[in-house]
Amino acid sequence: MPREIALFGVYLPNLTLLFVITLAAGWAIDRLVAWCGLYRHAWHPTLLRVSLFTCLYGALMLSVYH
Amino acid sequence: MCPAGPEERSVSQTPAGPASALRRGLDDWAQSEGVTWAFVFKALFTAFVALWLAYRLELPQPNTVLVTVFIVMQPQSGQVLAKSFYRIVGTLLGLTVMIPLIALFAQERVLFLLCLSLWMGLCTAGAARYRDFRGYACVLAGYTAALIGLPAIAEPEAAFMQALWRVLEISLGILCSGLISALILPQNSGASLRHLLATRFRDFAAFAGAVLAGQLDVPRLEQLNARFAGEAVLLENLRNASSFEDPHFRLRSGRLGRLNQEFMVLSTRFHGLHQLLQRLQGVPGEQVRAALAPCLAEVGGLLAPLGRHLCNEADAEVLATRLEGSKRELMQLIRDARARLAEQQPGDEQLLDFNTAAEQLYRFANDLHDYALTHASLALHHHDREQWRDSFTPRANGMAAAVAGMRCALLILALGNFWIASAWPSGNTFVLTAAMISALTSTAPNPRRLAWQLLVGASGSAVLGCLLQFWVLPWLDGFALLCCALAPVFALGAWLLARHHTAGYGTGLLLWFCIVALPANLPPYDFNRLLNEYLAALLAMGASALAAALILPPDRPWLWQRLEHDLRMRVVFAVSGKLKGLVAGFESGTRDLLNQAHGLARGRPDVQRRLLRWMFAVLEIGQAVIELRQEQARLPDEPCYAEHMPWQGSVRAMGRALVRLFIQPDESNRQRALAAVEQAIVSVRQTPEARPPQFDSSPLRRVLSHLHFIRSSLLDPDSPLASHAALTGSPAHAA
Repeated sequence: MPREIALFGVYLPNLTLLFVITLAAGWAIDRLVAWCGLYRHAWHPTLLRVSLFTCLYGALMLSVYH
Repeated sequence: MCPAGPEERSVSQTPAGPASALRRGLDDWAQSEGVTWAFVFKALFTAFVALWLAYRLELPQPNTVLVTVFIVMQPQSGQVLAKSFYRIVGTLLGLTVMIPLIALFAQERVLFLLCLSLWMGLCTAGAARYRDFRGYACVLAGYTAALIGLPAIAEPEAAFMQALWRVLEISLGILCSGLISALILPQNSGASLRHLLATRFRDFAAFAGAVLAGQLDVPRLEQLNARFAGEAVLLENLRNASSFEDPHFRLRSGRLGRLNQEFMVLSTRFHGLHQLLQRLQGVPGEQVRAALAPCLAEVGGLLAPLGRHLCNEADAEVLATRLEGSKRELMQLIRDARARLAEQQPGDEQLLDFNTAAEQLYRFANDLHDYALTHASLALHHHDREQWRDSFTPRANGMAAAVAGMRCALLILALGNFWIASAWPSGNTFVLTAAMISALTSTAPNPRRLAWQLLVGASGSAVLGCLLQFWVLPWLDGFALLCCALAPVFALGAWLLARHHTAGYGTGLLLWFCIVALPANLPPYDFNRLLNEYLAALLAMGASALAAALILPPDRPWLWQRLEHDLRMRVVFAVSGKLKGLVAGFESGTRDLLNQAHGLARGRPDVQRRLLRWMFAVLEIGQAVIELRQEQARLPDEPCYAEHMPWQGSVRAMGRALVRLFIQPDESNRQRALAAVEQAIVSVRQTPEARPPQFDSSPLRRVLSHLHFIRSSLLDPDSPLASHAALTGSPAHAA
């Protein structure tokens, strides 16, 4: 997979695109988890949310750059 | 909301002893001073992480990163996350606008400066207009535009790359501060929201219980209502912030908005009841007062115990159940009291007074029941009461926002011209400082004072910056030592920033220390440059403070009068606005206006009091008019309620008279409005109705009591309508 994409003639690293995709996916997962009330069992919900996002982003990055 | 945590419960159960006393002392410290120190620690940590990243990533201007960190740093973490989101949106917006401008005008710097100052003016006006999260987006859009655009004036060929670097630096700053304040020792806005809700209701219940027991207290009523208006606006902000921060609050967001709205209706209703009771004081009202007393005591007895402790969801549940039964009893009590009063053969006027007050009391119990139900529903994650369409509608004076924007645009244009004409090497900082001051002060109620605080803070930073740059930094080697040298300055600034009344000094100190004295990857040691930069910053601040004081400052009579006019226009909105969502729009908008006006008239209690009395008059009459309109909208399809009946016509005529009165409050308009209300009362009375004359069964009876309520509030000698009319009445007649 190419590591850069061209946006209106400006080369951007794929990471930027992945970040946007992860934001959308992470938001959807976050809504779902919150709706089910699973955050009740977390000690630090914000930490869990940020970690979830980091894991998701890391996994996507590895799948592209590995 | 989650049920109270175990630590909250255990406080009352711990046995007394030195250990528990120490623990309580520590808890108290953690609640008060501890919060400030946690903030100082977080600010230092954020600043050093951001600085390390900026050096490590070799960003061209690490100081932009730190300036952004300190602009967005807030003691409450929920606020930080919410604001970060809007700030990134604002930053991208600023970039999107500046890039075409750079492409179009980079070679024509006067034109470019003109466009830049127009854009900054727009952003400042937007920040002054919205005052919430969208306001932050506006501030950041302006700040980004200034950061990107100003260097482009000096060197147009490198402008595009510079713009991208600046946006990266700003985003890094926003991300660092957002993450660290949300993750480490978070100060949840959810907790302060719960606390605010509980104390507000406790104080209300204590006051209402006392009033219903017969102790009327007008100064306390005014003071409480002014506070409630401010808290209604604050709660709305906290609600927005906590739904960003905490998924549990997001699930309850609709109910929290509803709770706020129901409390506003409740406090307006109670104010109306208080006014009615106030007007019944004295000998003529004696009979009515005596008849009403048992009914008032019934509701007061429910409220009084709640005034002694903070109410949680379980208490609200109990209150709701008790009110459910009590409402039926209240209806019976009112009927008995009316029968007793009728035996004494009172006048028409007194009977009407009794009916209106009793009905107002019953509605108050109803509103209280709604509030208790919504509060109790917060215990569950999902509830039917979440279905809530109405929203808080902030209102602002467009003129005030336009003036703030114009002031900013003029200032930037003037300073920019001076820069171009004098070819000053530090002109960049000169204009940037002016832009930042305008953005930072646009939302403050007293921009002059804030500008002055910033100036003092920046002067302090000049002294510290010179000391550090020429005596300390040359001795240092490595990042750890740099942190040790910067920590005292940042800690002092953060400590000032954490306390509300010194926040301006802290901002001034931190921002201009970072802009001018923070070393880049290759630190320059140039005394002339440093002096020039600080001179530019301080001169620009002086110019902004002057502009804020000279060009239509907002804390002056012109704006008080405009806001008073806006307050009165709320009645016009109540008479002619669309019925859907009218209650929420009316209640919240009126309180938002009062809250701004109250802040702008700080230091002038007489003006504050006048504005408050206008709000009361507007709320009383507006609520009655809206309920009258709702009553008309649900009338059953029977001939005596038809559109063409004379009483419908006279109610419409009364609406027109009220509009005229509130647009131009003078004695002749007040007399005309009074005559219209009396005409409406007479024609409603003369309309035959085929229903028992009880207020739960007869719509005309309810219409009549709304009309009587409007009449009594027009007649109130304490109302600003009466005093305003007395002041302006005679010249109006002469003219």
